[in-house]
Amino acid sequence: MNATDENKTAAVRRIILDLLPPEEGDNPRIFGAGAPLDSLGLVNFLADLEYRLAEEFGREIVLASDRAMSRGRSPFRDVAALTEYVVELLAE
Amino acid sequence: MKTGRVIFITGTSRGLGLGLAEHCLAQGDTVCGCSRAPATLTDARYSHYELDVSDEKAVVAAVRAAVRRHGRIDALVNNAGIASMNHALLSPAVTAQQIFATNFHGTFLFCREVAKAMVRQKSGRIVNFTTVATPLRLEGESLYAASKAAVESFTQVLARELGPSGITVNAVGPTPVPTDLVKNVPAAKMDALLARQAIRRFGTIEDVINVVEFFLSPQSEFITGQVIYLGGVNG
Repeated sequence: MNATDENKTAAVRRIILDLLPPEEGDNPRIFGAGAPLDSLGLVNFLADLEYRLAEEFGREIVLASDRAMSRGRSPFRDVAALTEYVVELLAE
Repeated sequence: MKTGRVIFITGTSRGLGLGLAEHCLAQGDTVCGCSRAPATLTDARYSHYELDVSDEKAVVAAVRAAVRRHGRIDALVNNAGIASMNHALLSPAVTAQQIFATNFHGTFLFCREVAKAMVRQKSGRIVNFTTVATPLRLEGESLYAASKAAVESFTQVLARELGPSGITVNAVGPTPVPTDLVKNVPAAKMDALLARQAIRRFGTIEDVINVVEFFLSPQSEFITGQVIYLGGVNG
């Protein structure tokens, strides 16, 4: 990972954390058992996230893509997984 | 006079969509429209996006551009649609794909993208377009009627999904209105269709606008998941 990628990853993580309720730990859970968001909360969060990503990176991405929905483990489960997934989408 | 609404209407180059856009502009609304063809409307409060409603990337880009430009979208009217009149056994597979792409996938994509903005606003109105061909089970219109049946079902489920966010989702089902959509239907077929309505005449653009405005009205915040057919046709 080069410096630019590291900056991008850090920026994505910061945006994600900004939009989530405060949670303790390095990798807060987002959706699923024991996570803070219910289905409606996830919908609202992802809608906000798409708009924030567009503002920050100037890219119109759709988070509910075939790739996200066909994965064995949801990219929406925790902050690390979602950060990695968003960085992948931004790299396309 | 109602002013200040930001309304996205699909299929605004002609027919009902054009009539709806002109009506809204006359009311003082800001209108975003789209069609595969270039704009036929010129107005300071009208912006046009030239796109195919079944093209996901184009829809995403247009809706987000509209939200950036106006800050919000108060209402979405999913008018864009195509029809094909033919016996099912004489219908090419590509026709089925095209009809579902425009009528259903286009409606789905615009609902999904505009609803993301509405969820953030915690308010919004969505009006989808169906047809009396669906409840009347019209022979010769199986693909068109089936695509609109999908729109009706989608409308009713979406109403439940978006209700908690203050967004209503309804559908209007016009009778035949003399537009390009029905110009190739034989007169005898059209007469037989009109005979099945409680009120036996063609619809007008004003009839359709009346129902759309009813759904868009602030007083209609408790009305969602409903399909209203014109002409006294029952679902």
